[in-house]
Amino acid sequence: MPFMRSLAFSATGRLAIAVVAVLLLTGAFFAAIGREPVALLWLIARSAAGDGYALTESLVRTTPILLCALATALPARIGLITVGAEGQIYVGALLGTGFMLTNSAATGVWPCVAMVVVAMLAAAAWSMVPALLKARLGVNETIVTLLTNYIAALLVTWVVYGPWKNPASQGWPATAEFPAPFKPPTFFDSRVHVGLWLAIALAVALHLTLTRTRWGLTLDILRSNPRAGIAAGLHWRRNILLTMALGGMLAGLAGILETASIQGRLQANISAGAGFSGFLVAWLARNDCLRILPLSLLVGALLASGDGLQMLADLPSSISLVVQGLLFVGVLFAGGCLKRLERSHG
Amino acid sequence: MDSLEIVFSGFLISALRSATPLLLALLGECLGQRTGVINLGTEGQMLIGAMAGYGATAALGDPWLGLAAGAGAGLLLSSVHAVLAIGAQANQFASGLAVWMLGFGLSAYLGAGLVGRKIASFDSVAAGPVAHWPIIGSVVAGMTPTVLIALLLVPAIGVWLYGTRTGLRWRAVGEAPDSARAAGVAPAWIQMQAVLAGGLLSGLGGAALSVDYTRTWAEGMSAGRGLVAVGLVIVARWNPWWTLPAALLFGGAEALSLRLQAADTPISAHLLHTLPYVASLVVLTLTYVRARDSGAPAGLKAVMDR
Amino acid sequence: MLTSLRNITKRFGTTLANDRVDLDLESGRVTALLGENGAGKSTLMKILFGFYRADAGAIVVDGVTVDVASPRAAAALGIGMVFQQFSLIPALTVRENLALTHPRLPWWLARGARAFADPVLRLGDIAPEVDPDALVSRLAVGEMQLVELVKVLNLEARIVILDEPTSVLTPAEAGRLRGEIRRIAAAGAAVALITHKLEDVFACADEVVVMRRGRVVARLRTADTGADDLVRLVVGEDALATARPVAAAPDAIVRCRIRALSASNETGAIADVDLGIAGGEILGIAGVSGNGQQTLADALTGLAIIRSGELIVDGETLQAARAETPAQPSVACLPEQPLRNAIAPDLSVAVNLMLKRIRDLPFLPDHARLVADAAALVHSFDIRPTDPALLAGTLSGGNLQKLVAARELSGTPALVVACCPTMGLDVAAAAAVYDALFAHARRGACVLWISEDLDDLMRYAHRIAVLYRGRVAGVIPATAATRQQLGAWMVGHAQAPVSDAVHA
Repeated sequence: MPFMRSLAFSATGRLAIAVVAVLLLTGAFFAAIGREPVALLWLIARSAAGDGYALTESLVRTTPILLCALATALPARIGLITVGAEGQIYVGALLGTGFMLTNSAATGVWPCVAMVVVAMLAAAAWSMVPALLKARLGVNETIVTLLTNYIAALLVTWVVYGPWKNPASQGWPATAEFPAPFKPPTFFDSRVHVGLWLAIALAVALHLTLTRTRWGLTLDILRSNPRAGIAAGLHWRRNILLTMALGGMLAGLAGILETASIQGRLQANISAGAGFSGFLVAWLARNDCLRILPLSLLVGALLASGDGLQMLADLPSSISLVVQGLLFVGVLFAGGCLKRLERSHG
Repeated sequence: MDSLEIVFSGFLISALRSATPLLLALLGECLGQRTGVINLGTEGQMLIGAMAGYGATAALGDPWLGLAAGAGAGLLLSSVHAVLAIGAQANQFASGLAVWMLGFGLSAYLGAGLVGRKIASFDSVAAGPVAHWPIIGSVVAGMTPTVLIALLLVPAIGVWLYGTRTGLRWRAVGEAPDSARAAGVAPAWIQMQAVLAGGLLSGLGGAALSVDYTRTWAEGMSAGRGLVAVGLVIVARWNPWWTLPAALLFGGAEALSLRLQAADTPISAHLLHTLPYVASLVVLTLTYVRARDSGAPAGLKAVMDR
Repeated sequence: MLTSLRNITKRFGTTLANDRVDLDLESGRVTALLGENGAGKSTLMKILFGFYRADAGAIVVDGVTVDVASPRAAAALGIGMVFQQFSLIPALTVRENLALTHPRLPWWLARGARAFADPVLRLGDIAPEVDPDALVSRLAVGEMQLVELVKVLNLEARIVILDEPTSVLTPAEAGRLRGEIRRIAAAGAAVALITHKLEDVFACADEVVVMRRGRVVARLRTADTGADDLVRLVVGEDALATARPVAAAPDAIVRCRIRALSASNETGAIADVDLGIAGGEILGIAGVSGNGQQTLADALTGLAIIRSGELIVDGETLQAARAETPAQPSVACLPEQPLRNAIAPDLSVAVNLMLKRIRDLPFLPDHARLVADAAALVHSFDIRPTDPALLAGTLSGGNLQKLVAARELSGTPALVVACCPTMGLDVAAAAAVYDALFAHARRGACVLWISEDLDDLMRYAHRIAVLYRGRVAGVIPATAATRQQLGAWMVGHAQAPVSDAVHA
């Protein structure tokens, strides 16, 4: 199996070097702010997975990151570098919440399902802005998604401060709470919700689709050389739209589940950077949907540990953002150096 | 002065003031993209510059030192992009995002103690006799030093890029690194210089934002200006002279949204705040609609179209 | 001044590019290096220019052994080289391009200042009609070649190397360049002229060095040599490896019709192209590079946006305006630069060989069968290395070309579009590609063959059409074609002007 071989050789080697680079970087950073690096890393590990509560909180944090990583990896299979998951989270949450507010008296199972479907379709539609601009005019998708992210976040801020603001929330900008029929089921007597299992199943399904089917091969060809693919009769534009739409759906799913299940109401700043963390994870996994699974858990746990650090070590939670950035820098650096090494050794 | 003139000059000065941080970042990004390097980390560099600038001003009491500290911090952070994207030849978009995350995290972490602190900042520039000229007089009188610096940098960089030997070499590197190398120019070295210059200018822009424009520090306060800069370079067609109108587009949209808000428009302030981003996006799209040959440096095209 | 290359040996992997080569270049003389593609001429000169380092041997200038470690070191020794691929920057002006390499350029480049005028001084001598402030992208290919020459002369080069300078020029432009080369030599420079054209040798070389398979096989004075002798020396035992021409079928019916086709893509545009190709006919398309050849090929294969007109093959409209038709199985295409246009480098050779049939694969493709199917094609087209599971990107240029030929020419297409399909191939490989291509004409398919090599076109094509600025400037049966007439069409003249006749 080529997959096994690549895992045994390049991936493991790459990962080992990346881990060393990241540990050195974070260690240096901790030393620079006057903390004992090893002790602090241990503390991070403990507050991420020290007990049952910490572990389930890490899983809660992992879920949207996992979905956003998949939402980034899928368009990446055709060669797109999109950072749109962040905005798609907001749009999914926005329209999903809108559906809840207009049908708040509904009962049964269907409201929750319909709300999720609406959210996914809305986010898919939102992703059509960069997708169409790319497919029709060749506008760089990275820049467009970054701009549309700000617009999406502002739209949510607008509704929670304005038309959808819950008068009962006493000045706090948020919508009305999601009633029980709109709450996705949770597990382990914790905040871990159905989204986690859904995301894991989707990751496996996507992995099989992308590696085994003709469609996966089509995307590989179009990524490797669009001109060769088009000359062979493959549909570049159509697949750009398709992968972006499916990616949008995944991020939209993350958005509405996070809102309905974890926060219980729509408020500003719901994503907490999950879209960007997802991008980071997809990059670390080199868009391999199976490798995304452990890596999103790693990043999710790291971010969840931020809250623990605040209590245990009197450090602002933003330190986990710094570590996340160092993680990305370290991996890129290790990857680039390895590439140079490979090239110089033929 | 009649009231129309007051409204117009008032609008112009607020557009200029809100465009200044962006204009500085835009000039820096323009230099980088001219040599074929795109830097999404501009956003992070602005943030670290804003934080460092505000911190230095608060600690030392001198806004000039604040600007210097901001520029230095931006330069320092951009060296990460230089090492990753040029040294290690990592993907430029990924490297830029990494720098952005790092800048966001670091500025939030290091700036946690600065929230709510007060600083002494710049006064308006002394306009002298110019103050009595119609329109221009009141615009100049409303300017702060950072606005003036940004406005002077536009022709300085424009003349330098098109009128000097080094400028010619920078342009050659962005167009055809291999030809430039054949001509005895080291492309990687020049790209590094351009990225660092971009870091310096975006850091300065960030400091102008926190020290002069808002006169506060808040986490993530640049609110996408650095990313807008990356997009607006395309609108400005990689020409330093065009960065001013491009930045004024954003600044004008922001000034307009603040104006409408102050005038008690029924439209929500948050919706109005989308205006600069929508305007940037629309103009960006139009540049692609109008001309297939956008005037992009060939080396950059290779990065953007892949 | 005498510059000597002594015993130069250079290997690339297992290929011996230069095998103990000796060469002398003398001031005031033009030495032609003649040989087929891949004979080792360019490699030898790139060693002299410091681009490659020789594995063994020495470079001796006036009795002193020198170390030419880099192009910079070469420039310091007064060695300048004009490459086959232009190193001019299209988005800059002629003046800026010349300034960039000028050794004594001031820091401040004010317009009209004397300092900024220095770089273009020689341009006035060599090409007075070229506007120094024009963008290079607006120049004709011949003008660019002259600017390249000025660039090298600006470096005060005493040894000037030119790599196939006339290969992309029209006959008239080539004649002019040969005159300039003589003038440079007369002014005291030593000129090395890499070429595979006999005309170049006879028009301007004092001495000719014939190379074959990395070795010098003959060193002759041009004046004492005849064309027939040179051909025999150049081709050697490779004479067997030329393609067999296809006999024209005079009364064959037109199977393929290109009707009033206008299209554009990033490489250019074509307008109102109207051509018919009979079954079994080889229609050659000549023209200076960049006059719409690539766009024509792309339009026929669904890669360019068609503004108006259509492509009809056997009565069926395959491409038309606004219809987003992908490539058709009945149209095969051998593009130029296969790595850019026809190869997915990150995927296996097997997948690349099956590229046109991806849509017919089952939903779950069987990779083992793909590899097995590919193995047969790899063998019959002699693609190396022979493992179909290797990534296509690891293959050499010649093998990539063979891979594309294997994929495109293994079926029974009704129309074959070939775009400079032998560029970069050695003689034997080129002959194999030509044979595979012409076999389709023999079978009764239409062949549209784009080439910049007029000799090959006149030897193998049945009719030749010339593209100029995206339009068909003329069509002529190959038997009636002359270089003068084709050359006139290539620069937009209706007739061949008498004064431009080439002394060949």
